[in-house]
Amino acid sequence: MQTLLKILQRYSNFLVFLTLEVAAFLLISLNNAFPRSSMLSTANRFVAWQNEKVSNMRSYFHLQTQNEQLAIENAELRNQICSIDSAEYRNPFTYMSAIAVQMTTDELHNYITINRGSEDGVMRGQGVRNAEGVVGIIRTVGTHYSVVMPIINTRNRLSCRFTKNGYFGTLQWDGKDNRFAQLADVAAHMVVNPGDTIVTSGLSPVFPEGIPVGIVENSVLKEGDSYHTIRVRLNTNFKQLRFVEIVQNKDQQEIEELTDGLD
Amino acid sequence: MDWTKQIGRYIVVMLLQVLLFNQLQLWDVCHPYIYILCLLMMPITIPHWLSMVLGAVAGLVMDVFCNSLGIHMAACVLLMYIRPYLIGAIVNDKDRLNEQISTQAIGLGAMFEYTIIMVLLHHLAVFTMAAWSWKHIGFVLFETLVSSIVTILVIMGYNSMRDK
Repeated sequence: MQTLLKILQRYSNFLVFLTLEVAAFLLISLNNAFPRSSMLSTANRFVAWQNEKVSNMRSYFHLQTQNEQLAIENAELRNQICSIDSAEYRNPFTYMSAIAVQMTTDELHNYITINRGSEDGVMRGQGVRNAEGVVGIIRTVGTHYSVVMPIINTRNRLSCRFTKNGYFGTLQWDGKDNRFAQLADVAAHMVVNPGDTIVTSGLSPVFPEGIPVGIVENSVLKEGDSYHTIRVRLNTNFKQLRFVEIVQNKDQQEIEELTDGLD
Repeated sequence: MDWTKQIGRYIVVMLLQVLLFNQLQLWDVCHPYIYILCLLMMPITIPHWLSMVLGAVAGLVMDVFCNSLGIHMAACVLLMYIRPYLIGAIVNDKDRLNEQISTQAIGLGAMFEYTIIMVLLHHLAVFTMAAWSWKHIGFVLFETLVSSIVTILVIMGYNSMRDK
């Protein structure tokens, strides 16, 4: 007993070190496996408030481009109003505007914090877009703020298709350049040309069909490969992202219940 | 030891980190973590276990601001664990280390050496854990180098100002 106590005393500093490191790695692994607590992320009210203030200050430098973008978006919305002519088509999607108050664009796991939370009806798994194209998917929801996992996060996967022939592919990001992403799972027999347009596939309940994603920059097909390696120039300019829209699907719960029942 | 001074310095440095250095988006590889200045300059007389706990807390606070739960905490605890051993190895004249770690107390060479090793270790730990795979090792090393240079300059600048 005496010896044990002596050993414990001798190595007490090392034991403190070990305990704290184990706690830290538990936090890291929990964080990788589950949606994080909103208290301990940028959805935390104080942290988000601070970020919002900084973001407001920074936004003055981008006013010119932001105004242009809003004008473009207005025009696009007007066009959409004109094109609604079918009374039979039931549209389950609704949009809610939000502002990005904090974000990273140059890490491997980028995140965006937006100023809408559960009180506004935001739920985990909803989509986020802006006037230019797809932004990402809601990952953590706080009361007044949420954290979005953008398509420029190496953990994100997005189902897309070509506008020209409807072929599907999966968009991923390699963590290198926030202007480009990679399109996988496109079979070799399909002809891919630079300039081909990529949009959301509408296969998941997250995004409606046809939201712009990007344009093919180049594609490589190595000898013996069964899939193309495609580099896509993203429509969304994440460096200047500020005004976004949350895409809400009225039928999301119903669709999830139906597919859950299949397992 | 003057706790109010330590806490005051921590708040100022944390404000600088969050409001200025976290906003740096000039180069895609530069993420200086200057908040470890407070951990590096913490008086050496503080008990070893307590310094590790304080490191864990400072890391956790940073994690909340960076959306990286646990990563900064692990790196800071490692930093505070090796700190007394590193100082023991670098500083020959232990009598001069009664309270503060400063250039006056341990000399410019030792201070520089201490800062470089601590900053490189912390940044390498953070970026490696954030990447969470060896696939990006080249990028991680480059990121560590660029960010560390900025952090080292800030910490050495702070020390030279303090001595005057």
